[in-house]
Amino acid sequence: MSAAEADDRAESIRMIRDSAAAVAPPGGDLKRVRDLRWQDPGYDAGLFRQMGEMGWIGLRLPEEMGGAGLGVGEMCALAEELGRGLVPEPLIPAALSAQVLAAAGGKGPLPVLLAGEVLVLTAWQERADTLEVPGTSEASRHFLPMAAGADFFLLPVREGGRLALYELPAARCVPTIERTQDGGTLGTLAPNMAEATKLADDVGEALPAALDEAALVTAAYLLGGMERAFGMTLDYLRQRQQFGKIIGTFQALQHRAADLKMQVALTRASIESAAAALDAGATGDARRAAVSRAKARAAEASLRVTRECIQLHGGIGYTDEYDVGLYLRKAMVMANQYGSATLHRRRFMTVSPEVEA
Amino acid sequence: MDAIRIPPPAELDSLDDEQFRQVVRAFLHANYPEHLRNPPKRLHWVENKEWYFRLAETGWLCPGWPKEHGGLGLSPAKQIILTEEYERHGVARTNDHGVVMLGPLVINYGTEEQKRRFLPKILTGEHIWCQGYSEPGAGSDLAALRTEAVLDGDHYVVNGQKTWTTLAMDANWIFLLVRTDRNAKKQEGISFLLVDMKTPGITVRPIINLEMHDEFCETFFDNVRVPKENLVGQLNKGWDMAKALLGFERIFLGSPRQSGYALSRLKILAERMGVWEDAEFQDRYARLRLEFEDLKALYGTFVDRLKRGQSLGPDVSMLKIIQTELFQKITDCMLEIAGENAGLMEPMEGNRDLNIGGLYIQARPATIYGGSNEIQRNILSKNVLELPG
Repeated sequence: MSAAEADDRAESIRMIRDSAAAVAPPGGDLKRVRDLRWQDPGYDAGLFRQMGEMGWIGLRLPEEMGGAGLGVGEMCALAEELGRGLVPEPLIPAALSAQVLAAAGGKGPLPVLLAGEVLVLTAWQERADTLEVPGTSEASRHFLPMAAGADFFLLPVREGGRLALYELPAARCVPTIERTQDGGTLGTLAPNMAEATKLADDVGEALPAALDEAALVTAAYLLGGMERAFGMTLDYLRQRQQFGKIIGTFQALQHRAADLKMQVALTRASIESAAAALDAGATGDARRAAVSRAKARAAEASLRVTRECIQLHGGIGYTDEYDVGLYLRKAMVMANQYGSATLHRRRFMTVSPEVEA
Repeated sequence: MDAIRIPPPAELDSLDDEQFRQVVRAFLHANYPEHLRNPPKRLHWVENKEWYFRLAETGWLCPGWPKEHGGLGLSPAKQIILTEEYERHGVARTNDHGVVMLGPLVINYGTEEQKRRFLPKILTGEHIWCQGYSEPGAGSDLAALRTEAVLDGDHYVVNGQKTWTTLAMDANWIFLLVRTDRNAKKQEGISFLLVDMKTPGITVRPIINLEMHDEFCETFFDNVRVPKENLVGQLNKGWDMAKALLGFERIFLGSPRQSGYALSRLKILAERMGVWEDAEFQDRYARLRLEFEDLKALYGTFVDRLKRGQSLGPDVSMLKIIQTELFQKITDCMLEIAGENAGLMEPMEGNRDLNIGGLYIQARPATIYGGSNEIQRNILSKNVLELPG
C-alpha cells in the first residue's frame, strides 16, 4: 500500500468511527441499552433500519450488490465503536447474512436486509463452539442471536458435495427463544424444509469465509467493550478515595491496571493486523491464522479485563445500576460466539504450526 | 436416620462430634422444609421465615449463644460441624443478622436492660435486624464512616447514608456504626447504635446486583431521633466492639464447600460439552481439583486449631483468598468451555442446576465482600509477614 493509499484508508476508518457516533455517542449514557434488555426482540428495529440506511449492513458488499464496498478494517472499526456503546442491534449476524446472500447472487431478501427493513439470520450452527457447517438438512440450528426479531432464516443444507442455501420465513418456522445475560436472546430453530425455498446451489466457499470475518468483527466489538470498561475503571481509580488516598496511588492496583492495558494493547494489535491482512487479500491458512489469533486474544482478554474491572471497582462494580457490569455480561455472551478462545487457539496451531523467527 | 433420637437443645453440646453430626442430619431431615433446599439466591424474610420460626420453636436458632440467653452454647468446633451439615443439606440463610451479629454484641457489651429488651425478640423472630456498617465513602476503609449521631437531650440525632445494608427492606431494626466524635482519630470516634426502622427519617432503597437480585440496599438517615439508651457499650468504643466480634466465623469465608460445588458442576458441564476426556482439559481440571484438595487440607488445620480451643490469627485471611479465587477460576473455566451456552440467563436445558452464567456472576463478589482480597493481602503482608510500611 502506498503512503497515499494508507492515508485514504486511515481517513476512511476515521469517518466510519465518526458515523458510529450517531448510534453510540462517545461518553453517552447506556439508558437506551438498559431499556432494551430482556424485552422482545431485545433491540430497536428502527435503529436497525437506520444502520441499513447508513450502509452498515452492506458495508462489506461491493457497490454493484448494493453495498458500500469498504474493507474489513472499516467494519472492525465500526464494530469496535458499537462495542464501546454496547449497541445491541444485530449488525454482525446481519452482515454475515448479507455476505451469504451476495454469494448466492443477491437473491432473496438481500435488498430489504441491506436497507435494514428485515432481519435475516443464517442458521448454520448445529452445536456449541464450532465453525463447522455440516448442513444436516433436518438438524436443529442453535444460538441464533436476537432470533426473536428475525424475519427470515438462511439455511445451509449439504447436498452431495455442495452446500446449498435455502430461505425460510420466520413466520412459517418459529424459533424457540432463550434469554441471554446481556439482555438479548438466542434462538433454536427446528427447520421445516417443506417451507424452505432454495436460493443457491453452493455457498460452500462463501459461508466459511463470512464466518471467519464475523469472528474477527466480533473480536473488534469485544475490544471496544473491554477498552471502555477499562477506561471507566481508570476513571474510578483516579477519583475513588479510601484510607485518605486516591486508590489509584496504590502500587498493587497500578500494576494490575498496567497488566490490563497490555491485554487491551495486544488485542488491538492483533485485530488491526488481522484486518489489514484480510484487506490485503490473505487467503486460506494465512487468513484463518490471522482471524484465529485475533479472536482467541479478544475472547480471553475481554473476559479477563471485564472481570478485573468489577474487582477494581469493589462493591459498586457488583451493582446492576453501575455500567461496568453491563460490559462483563456482554463479554460473557460474545466471547464464545464464532468460536471460543480454545477453538481458535487450536485452529491457529493447525493452520500455522511453525514460528517464523 | 429416623432411628436417631434428637436430644433436647440443652444437651447438644455434650454429644461427641460424630454423634452431634448425626443428630444435626436427623434434625434437618425432620425439620428443614424440602422446598427451600439449595435456593438459587438469598431468600427474603417472606420466603425464609418458615425456617426461622421452625428453628425458634425447636430452640436451635442460636447455636453460638450461651444457654442462659436461649442459645445452644455450642463450641466453635461444633458450630463448624453444624455449618458443614447445613451446607451439605442446602439450608438457606435466614435473615440472621440478629442471631449472628447483634445478639453476640449485646450479650458481650449490652446492659442487662438491653439484653432483656432485645435478645428474646431475636429468639422469637419479632425483631429482624440488618447491619449498617459500610457507606459509599467507607468500604474497605470502614473506619472512614461519616454517618453522624449528635446528642440532643435524651436522643441521638442520626444523619447520613449506609450502603450494602443487606435485606434492609425485610428488617425492622438496624444496628449502626456511627460517628460520635469528629475530632478523635477515626477509629476512636465511632459508636454502636440500635435503631428502630420505623423511626421517622429512614428511607430504604433496594440496589439490584449483578445477579439481578435485590438483597442489597442503601439506607438513608435524615434527622433520625434515637433514644440514647439504644447506645451499646461505651461511647466511642464501637469500632473495637465491632472488631472483637469478628470471631472464628471468619473461617467460613474460606470454607471449601463453594468450590467443591462448582467443581462438581464443571465436571458435568465438561461431560456435556464432550471435553471431559480431553487431555488438555484433564490437566486443567486436575490443577483445580488439587487446589481444592489442598485448600481442604489447609482449612482442616484451622479447624483443628479451633477444636483445640485456640483462636484464629490473621493468617486465616489465606483461606478466604484461596477459596474465593479458586471458586472464580472454576467458574471462569466453565464459561470458557461452554461455548455459546456461557451467555444464557437460565440453566442449561437438561441440567436444571447447571447455570453457567449464574455461577460465573455469583463468583464475582466473593473476592469483594467480607473484606476484599486486596485487604486480606494487606493483612497477610502486614500482620502475618510483618513486612515494613
